[in-house]
Amino acid sequence: MLRWKKKRICRFCEAGDVYIDFRDEKRLVRFLTEQGKIVPRRTSGNCAQHQRQLAKAIKRARHLALIPFVSDIPR
Amino acid sequence: MEKLYCTIYIVDISQNPEEEEAVTSRIQQLIEDHGGIIQRINRWGKKRLAYPIQKKTHGYYVEIEFTAKSVLNIPAILEQEYRVNDRVLRYLTYVVDKKELIQRAKKAGKKAEKEAPAAEKKETPAAPEAPAAEAPAAEPEAPQVTEPAEGENPPVAETEAPVTEEAQEAAQENEEKKEEK
Ligand SMILES: [Zn+2]
Repeated sequence: MLRWKKKRICRFCEAGDVYIDFRDEKRLVRFLTEQGKIVPRRTSGNCAQHQRQLAKAIKRARHLALIPFVSDIPR
Repeated sequence: MEKLYCTIYIVDISQNPEEEEAVTSRIQQLIEDHGGIIQRINRWGKKRLAYPIQKKTHGYYVEIEFTAKSVLNIPAILEQEYRVNDRVLRYLTYVVDKKELIQRAKKAGKKAEKEAPAAEKKETPAAPEAPAAEAPAAEPEAPQVTEPAEGENPPVAETEAPVTEEAQEAAQENEEKKEEK
């Protein structure tokens, strides 16, 4: 039940990506929760290298208002 | 050391749409005056901001890539300008690293492959030279475009529509939250 997804596959490794571009906001959004938080690695299955890259990309995209910092209906 | 920089900024064009050109020429001038060489200017155009900045909901995005020696410290010079210029809503300057360039080359390579997969299989044994990849890309495209062009158009519209809706929803939610704060 707790194990939502047992497979540990990094989608970026699968695609053979070397770099995660912050300009690609459609792709980044898939790794955000509804509130706009970064999805943890244990949920997304990303490897350490790609999770770090992803976090950086998301932070740059947020700064440039490509993706929101928070997108939540309060309470 | 010579470095490749990328600077992106958002211009407020709500009052005057020509503001973007003024800012861009100013930045361009600053880079060139201080010894940088502009490689590429990419105007993303007017985009909706994911959250309001200085009460603006839209902004004009411009991306400039330039090379310069790191001792010239051009990012700091640009930052000064960005801070003073109140038409600039946001800015980001960073050093483009190798991985990004590799990824870009990969993406460009994949695109070329997709466009001419059938032709390449036939021609690779005959012509393994580099220009061979480019030449067949142009040939099979011409006959394909005439017929399936119409079939290709609808999915483009489909993929674009939900994204904008989502973005709008997210922005609305964002605004609602801000108001309650
Ligand atoms: Zn990975």
